[in-house]
Amino acid sequence: MEKSHFSQSQGTRYSFAIALCIVTMLIALPVHDLLDPANIVMLFLLAVFITAATLGRGPAILAAFLNVALFDFFFVQPRLSFAVADTQYLVTFAVMLAVGLCTSHLVARVAERKREAEMREQQTLALYDLAADLGTSLSIEQVAERTGTFLHGIAFDATVLIAESVQGETSFREYGKHRLGRMEQSFAHSAYTNQTIVEADTLAGLGIAIIFLPLAAPVPVRGVLAVTPQTSDAELIRLHRPLLEAVASLIGMTVERLHHADAAHQSELKAASERLRASILSSLSHDLRTPLTTLVGLADTLVRKYPVLDAAALETANIIRDQAHAMHHLISNLLEMARLRDGKVTLNRQWQPFEEIIGSSTRLLAGILANRILEVNVPRDLPLVCFDAVLMERVVCNLLENAVKYSTTGAKIVLRVSADHGALEFSVWNAGSSFPAAPNDEIFEIFVRGEMNPAVSGSGIGLAICKAVVAAHEGEIIAENRDGGAAVRVRLPLGVPPEVQEEIPE
Amino acid sequence: MSTSSPHILVVEDEPQIRRLICEALRGEGYTCGESSNAQDALALAAGNDVALVLLDLGLPGMSGNEFIQELRTWSQLPILILSARNAEDDKIGALDLGADDYLAKPFGIGELLARVRALLRRHGQDQDAAPTFQFGDVHVDLSRRIVCRGGIEVHLTKMEYRLLAVMLANSGKVMTHRRLLQAVWGTGHTEQAHYLRIYLGRLRQKLEVDPTQPKFFLTETGVGYRFQS
Repeated sequence: MEKSHFSQSQGTRYSFAIALCIVTMLIALPVHDLLDPANIVMLFLLAVFITAATLGRGPAILAAFLNVALFDFFFVQPRLSFAVADTQYLVTFAVMLAVGLCTSHLVARVAERKREAEMREQQTLALYDLAADLGTSLSIEQVAERTGTFLHGIAFDATVLIAESVQGETSFREYGKHRLGRMEQSFAHSAYTNQTIVEADTLAGLGIAIIFLPLAAPVPVRGVLAVTPQTSDAELIRLHRPLLEAVASLIGMTVERLHHADAAHQSELKAASERLRASILSSLSHDLRTPLTTLVGLADTLVRKYPVLDAAALETANIIRDQAHAMHHLISNLLEMARLRDGKVTLNRQWQPFEEIIGSSTRLLAGILANRILEVNVPRDLPLVCFDAVLMERVVCNLLENAVKYSTTGAKIVLRVSADHGALEFSVWNAGSSFPAAPNDEIFEIFVRGEMNPAVSGSGIGLAICKAVVAAHEGEIIAENRDGGAAVRVRLPLGVPPEVQEEIPE
Repeated sequence: MSTSSPHILVVEDEPQIRRLICEALRGEGYTCGESSNAQDALALAAGNDVALVLLDLGLPGMSGNEFIQELRTWSQLPILILSARNAEDDKIGALDLGADDYLAKPFGIGELLARVRALLRRHGQDQDAAPTFQFGDVHVDLSRRIVCRGGIEVHLTKMEYRLLAVMLANSGKVMTHRRLLQAVWGTGHTEQAHYLRIYLGRLRQKLEVDPTQPKFFLTETGVGYRFQS
């Protein structure tokens, strides 16, 4: 395949070659008496050489043959005839032809090499430009546009395909003027999944993409470059294949860079919004807690005042204190829920015995549990469980508080823990009131309260927090009526606890 | 420490809460120093005959933690922290730096005074460090390494005994997981909190009446443990 850097067509170049031979003949003709035939042969060989160097291989071969013919016809006795008197001239012809052909071959090859080198240099330069262009690209659209312009320059249409995974199915988002048909899609798919170049030369000239190059950045491959030649020349693809591979790899790296830049930007945004949220929550929590602390403390001071206040004032002070506590409890719950609802709570999960938080919960609630009969049922050999102690303590406390809230003075409350079938289960049961006929998941929704006793105060936030915490631990929470009371069961998955090396006895 | 009423330094930036605390303390016969920031508090702690510091963690300017760090370079004064309930990390940080106990806001006056009394008592005891302890029906003699319950000797393993000794030596103080692990198992084991939890569970089973509702070896959820007699 020759692609001359000359602009002339094939025909013109052959005409030039013929003209050069004739000019050589016309120069030699008037002086042939003065010159030795060997020198005339030299003139003709010079013509072949010039032809080879300037017009390429084909015209040079033509010139080699034509020169032998012209030499024979015009300069060898009998002249103006192809007949040869002296057979010595046959050797001259043969050598002349051979030298002509060799010259034309060698010179043309050097010229071709030079042209190829120039072309490669141009391509390299163009690749540099493309790389610089892609380096400043800010979006896939820009990448596709710049690649398209570049490949258009060497008579290709390009489509950049970026893989998108939706529910395990890979589909491509296409960037480029050429829309792929179904067959082309399947070629692209195969190039993408096998991470190899797929070619379909035999389909050249149909105006469809016939080479599919995976965008081979370092893993993972993120898409495919589909290239459609603008002519029917499949050879063109073969010639430019190294270039196309380089382009595909360039796009691959650019897409990878854009992907990471995008991910970094997204996570930056997310982190910023999380920081903001956390700081709002914490300052809100501080600002609400400060007046409440004062209120609780001042009411408490009144209650403890010596000499003792009169009965009515004392009761008022007590109510103020208790209500302030209740308010604090509600605010804590609301803030906790705001954190949990985000779904972004980082659990501080640690392997620990579950009984620890039972002890701490019942101690925290000692005041309100005082006039109920609490039965705690915990086997001695419970395995360690991996959970966030602070949050799980909140769950136990909320369930115990509910049990107190929905039962009467002196009622029995049972807290039971057991481990079986790969789960730790704990339940809080209270005698007396029960859930509506069929307790369902709804009662774990925020602000929904079981309608068993509308007179009991509550925000309906307690169970919602329980559910959120348990869900964050991949556990389940179930409300049920049994044994003449209401129960909430929580199941937490048991994992494999870390090994504990026993002491060597002394 | 002065022989007259103990002097307590209250470091809190909210004037209302500061006033409230000081009034409660004065009502119990303590004298009070007040400061709204850590810098001034350090000067006050150095100058006066202070018996205890009540410290709010969320101070403007120099933080509560920086205050503890600074104070601990030259003083072992007991420090009681006031902090928000669900700020475990802050509490752990302050306790690891050397604070003795914490109280979550909002707190009852009774609770506050009980903590103050316990810390003052403990601090007074440090000088003569009694080798024997009595809690419930348990008697511990550290000098003879004997632990008895209801008059009968209880066998403790080496690690159980060490843990018990550390807990008793820091009676009334909140000990973070990290500090206990460091004291009992050594500095290389501060990440193996489950050991601590298992051994503490065993101590409870051997020394508590109801291990699920402990009276002496209390859990400070998310923070550590406290021995309270």
